Amino acid sequence: MSIRKTPLHAAHAASGSRFVDFHGWEMPVQYEGILAEARRVRAHVGLFDLCHMGRLVISGPDREALIERVFSGRFAKLRHGRAKYGFLLNEDGYAIDDVLVYRDVDVVHMVINATGREADTAWVTKQCAAGGFDATVENVSDEQAMIALQGPASEHVLQTLCGTDLSAVRYYGFTTAPVCGHETLMARTGYTGEDGFELFFDPKHAMEVWAALEASGASLEIAPIGLGARDLLRLEAGMPLYGQELNLEIDPLEAGLGFGVDLSKEDTLGVPALRARKEAGLTRTAISLAQQGGRVPRPGCRVLKDGKPVGVVTSGGVSPTVERNIARALVDARAAEIGGTLGIEIRGRSHPMDVVAHPFYKRAK
Amino acid sequence: MADRPNDLQYMKTHEWVRIEDDVATIGISDFAVDHLGDLVFVDLPDEGSDVEAGTAVAEVESVKAVGEVYTPVGGEVIEVNSDLADDQAALTTDPFGAGWLFKVKISGDPVDGLLDLAAYEAQLAAEASE
Repeated sequence: MSIRKTPLHAAHAASGSRFVDFHGWEMPVQYEGILAEARRVRAHVGLFDLCHMGRLVISGPDREALIERVFSGRFAKLRHGRAKYGFLLNEDGYAIDDVLVYRDVDVVHMVINATGREADTAWVTKQCAAGGFDATVENVSDEQAMIALQGPASEHVLQTLCGTDLSAVRYYGFTTAPVCGHETLMARTGYTGEDGFELFFDPKHAMEVWAALEASGASLEIAPIGLGARDLLRLEAGMPLYGQELNLEIDPLEAGLGFGVDLSKEDTLGVPALRARKEAGLTRTAISLAQQGGRVPRPGCRVLKDGKPVGVVTSGGVSPTVERNIARALVDARAAEIGGTLGIEIRGRSHPMDVVAHPFYKRAK
Repeated sequence: MADRPNDLQYMKTHEWVRIEDDVATIGISDFAVDHLGDLVFVDLPDEGSDVEAGTAVAEVESVKAVGEVYTPVGGEVIEVNSDLADDQAALTTDPFGAGWLFKVKISGDPVDGLLDLAAYEAQLAAEASE
């Protein structure tokens, strides 16, 4: 498979980025350094290239009925101009992907992971046909650029480039208006735990909009942020990474993501299976671990209690915000007491970590 | 970029060694440190332990990765740089000096293929142009 590049690749190279192969995409992993970039987003503002992520547009008279069928969250009460987080579940209640749906007036937008571009499109298209819905599923991933602006100064940076009043766009709301004169969907969403926006627009303007945002934020300490810091920021904020915290063998309830599932839904794929498992009692649960200094917990490290394996680390890293090593782990439900201590096995040795409250970081409102 | 001393020998895997009589001081190059990024932990061999030339005996861990450190010589570890346990900054600021990792009282021959500075820098240039 040949490696793919986003429309912003040249901008990253010019900024001195280091690249990594992320599921077939040559993406910036870091610029000035992972910790410095993560701190910058918490204190100021950062710019993220998310063009590699997938985007679907679902249209037609039955589009909302189709979304109700394939999306785990409560969609019916979502107002126009609002977004919601949830899952595309298979019949067994495992997530094929975690997604955001944006309810627009005449279409539904869906943002999916880079790994889901083909698989999610095929899945939703298949369910559309199976249910006889009069709807069209379009994979517009290559027809839209996606840039995130995250951090406390985000609104200020973006406001200078667009005429609409951004203070009227609430968290998880979105609006459409020109940015640098180009029609752009601006959503007050993101994956860092900070205030910020995600912008969707024609990729032929990607370099121009990126440069305009950098210029607009120059006096506010703006800088591009790589995938390394993005991974830390989302982990600090308690957000899952598909393929690690949840996958086809770890369901959303075990992963602690029940807020993305409306268990009362009858006609949504996978929800009845999740409801039945919840009633039977979950045997595994996700926990948060923290420790001052020492070895860094990494995905795949075993979790030990009294020397016996009780689970596995799903994500881990060094948190510059709480200044501790942090990890998410999936463990036996009986091992999950907050305030307890568990061991993390790193290269044959057990390193103690405290079981702590979730998430590690929550911004002051 | 740190000035790389030309009185050291280098391994292809970015360790350096300074041999004075029968004692070797081993560290990692500025390139290796830079490549790892933000450092958080250094795991050094035990003083008094025996190490075999060409094997991984230490680890330097960064935010994103764990780098294994190979020893170019075998023998007894006679001293480790314990200052690095709490603060790894010396590896970044002075990788060829205060950032040394461990010292070995040499027994036997070093590994084959140690590079002088010119050969090591030629390798770095080749890697950069890949």
